[in-house]
Amino acid sequence: MGRGKPTNGAKREARPLFDGYLPLEGVQDELFQPNGSARAGASGVVKRLNALGETEFRLRQRLADEAFLRSGVTFSVYADQRGSEKIFPFDLVPRVVPGKEWARVEAGLKQRVAALNHFLCDIYGEQRILKEGVVSRAMVEASVGYLPKLKGVRPPHDVYVHIAGIDLIRDASGELVVLEDNARTPSGVSYVLENRSVMKRVLPRIFADSSIRSVDEYPTRLRDALDAVAPAKNKDGHVVVLSPGPFNSAYFEHSFLARRTGCHLVHPGDLFVKDKHVFVKTTGGAQVVSVIYRRIDDDFIDPKFFRPDSLLGVPGIMEAYIAGNVTLANAPGNGVADDKAIYPFVPDMVRFYLGEEAILGQVKTYICERPKELEHVLANLGSMVVKAVDASGGYGMLVGPRATKRQIAEFADKVRATPRGYIAQPLIELSTAPTWVDGKVQPRRVDLRPYIITGESSWVLPGGLTRVALVKGSYVVNSSQGGGSKDTWVLEET
Amino acid sequence: MILSRVAEACFWSMRHIERAENTARLLRVNQSFVLDVSLPNLERWRPVIVVSGEEQRFLDRFGEDAINDDDVVQEYMVWDEKNPVSIMSCAYWARENARTVRDVITLEMWEKLNAFHHWLRGGQGRRLYRTDRDAFYVQVQEAAVLFQGVCHVTMLHEEPFDYMLLGMLLERAGQTARILDVKHHALGSPKRHTAGTPLETAQTLALLRSCSATQPFLKRTRGTPTGAAVVEFLLTETAFPRSVLFCLQRAQVFLQQVRPGHGVIGARPVELLLPLIEELQSRPMEELAEHGIHEELTRIIDRVAEVCQAVHNDYFDPSFLDQEALEA
Repeated sequence: MGRGKPTNGAKREARPLFDGYLPLEGVQDELFQPNGSARAGASGVVKRLNALGETEFRLRQRLADEAFLRSGVTFSVYADQRGSEKIFPFDLVPRVVPGKEWARVEAGLKQRVAALNHFLCDIYGEQRILKEGVVSRAMVEASVGYLPKLKGVRPPHDVYVHIAGIDLIRDASGELVVLEDNARTPSGVSYVLENRSVMKRVLPRIFADSSIRSVDEYPTRLRDALDAVAPAKNKDGHVVVLSPGPFNSAYFEHSFLARRTGCHLVHPGDLFVKDKHVFVKTTGGAQVVSVIYRRIDDDFIDPKFFRPDSLLGVPGIMEAYIAGNVTLANAPGNGVADDKAIYPFVPDMVRFYLGEEAILGQVKTYICERPKELEHVLANLGSMVVKAVDASGGYGMLVGPRATKRQIAEFADKVRATPRGYIAQPLIELSTAPTWVDGKVQPRRVDLRPYIITGESSWVLPGGLTRVALVKGSYVVNSSQGGGSKDTWVLEET
Repeated sequence: MILSRVAEACFWSMRHIERAENTARLLRVNQSFVLDVSLPNLERWRPVIVVSGEEQRFLDRFGEDAINDDDVVQEYMVWDEKNPVSIMSCAYWARENARTVRDVITLEMWEKLNAFHHWLRGGQGRRLYRTDRDAFYVQVQEAAVLFQGVCHVTMLHEEPFDYMLLGMLLERAGQTARILDVKHHALGSPKRHTAGTPLETAQTLALLRSCSATQPFLKRTRGTPTGAAVVEFLLTETAFPRSVLFCLQRAQVFLQQVRPGHGVIGARPVELLLPLIEELQSRPMEELAEHGIHEELTRIIDRVAEVCQAVHNDYFDPSFLDQEALEA
């Protein structure tokens, strides 16, 4: 064969995907070392993606985008009046977590969730931790998530946090630490599963060559856990997923989880309570419900118990719960455990209940309710991140180094007015991961939300949702504010 | 067995579409009818408002003078969002109901509803309405039958589908009965001196066209159509898909199909519907006419409404069933 004649496979050398990629100065990167060479754990994946090349990658990213659009993986944004649906942007460059690192994280997550469960059991029971002064009683009682009416109510197997989402970030030293606990209704797991299925379709070869731990078990694990916590005296009723309805931003996820676990997806109007039992209305008549995986916040779940003005809930459902006829997952009253002002005490809980040291570190936190710490926070607002303890989704927070003088002054007033409402943390340089933006791979900030399911025992989904701030220089990874997501590859330990 | 909410949304989604089609057809036929007959004292548009059940609301808002005004009536029946049965409202509610059961209906069905809704809302429909009224109504009818066709060929023919068809058939039976009643009223009881006059013929033809029945009817009869023959055809012709009897027989099939076992649930709608079907099948037309057609039609319309209410009670809101039913 003559020279220059194109032959199959022997095309011109493709431009490597990560050609010229360099992490930001002084910032940890998930795939690369500061000198630009791949991290030891990630080198296999990096090599394969480089071999795929930039042109081919561009094509696969487009295929992935189309797949999401077609399958209707969407969320809606509250501020958008029309309640329209948007695609959650997906970045095809995976985040890689070496098996060994994951083993430590997994153990740490189980430990943390166990401690949070013990804490809730104790707070709604004997309150030993308050009596012994490990956690301040005033702090607990002031928490908006604390529901004293539920004292003495014990859920089956003493499980309160059936589904937990613990947000992790990589700090400057390179260690994954806990940023926030979500013990109420953590969302996002449907994206993990959808991302994975698209990834397998779009990059099958690379996926097959990389020994990645599967995430497919999640729905069956969830269903098993929900079955396991059915009330002893009402075991055989329906297990349902309760969604506020199609206008909720996470409706896609609610219907996804119902489908994948084989549960009915119900809206509040589908349920009613009679003689302290919950029923679901079906064309076969009203049928008894045993377990409700509810995706409605405490405040809105029962207008008879919480907010009479709420039109969302199921009147009387709390009575059925207190009578032990139905299990709510997650349990009501969990807000006291993932309160941002309680967060600083979690390592103390681990020690108190489990007699162990916390495996996972966490971010140094100043409690504005304490006068000394408040003083420090107010004097250093410009360099801190201040968060409202009862807000989520990246709302109600001040990022000092990114804020104007005026914003800082305004926030200072708010904090002075209700110090109990705020905590402050030093600004953590979130790690970056290579991300496909504007036709090339660039460093963008990421966090990680792993999911922990607890029924008879705890199980950790390998990986979790990696959220990425697509805007250059941004630290806010929330989907409602310009964030996207990545598939998280936990490698088999070799 | 499916969630009551799902069944109800399916039922109403299809029912609203059926209603939109029906309204478009009535408006279209009436428009051409009022051009044909130049009798100023005749009630030109009132029958359309009466058939839709909107007479009171319309009179309250626009007054007696407006009820025979081409523009006011058509604007109200097509675009007015305060009119719960305007074409605009029906398209909206068909889509809203479908939205909550998107995992149950097919993507193709959703796309058709969506396209119809946006066509009406986005200005395109408005423009056509202004430039070519007849084409506009045809387009609405086509959007509706397209949705029904797509439903038939893409959706699983099981419980949710059964509820959609129930909604369609009960709505259609009621509509045909109401059109007959109103038109019959306008025709007046057949009197010797008007029989066979050009006016009666025009009205009878309009009545047939209002039910898309002209050709089917002519296949069954010969000579100039008489009022009595048309009434009989629209009530009892079992091969004609808009006759009251056809719709009720089919509805009965679906009512049996969704009924779980032989328990309490679902018994009432079947019990209500069966005697009505038997009567229509067996009772001679002359006997009907003796009792007064209007009285008979009113009874049919009321009974169909009762069936709908019974379907609602048994399937859509079982929380009010008594304890016996819960355990059944």
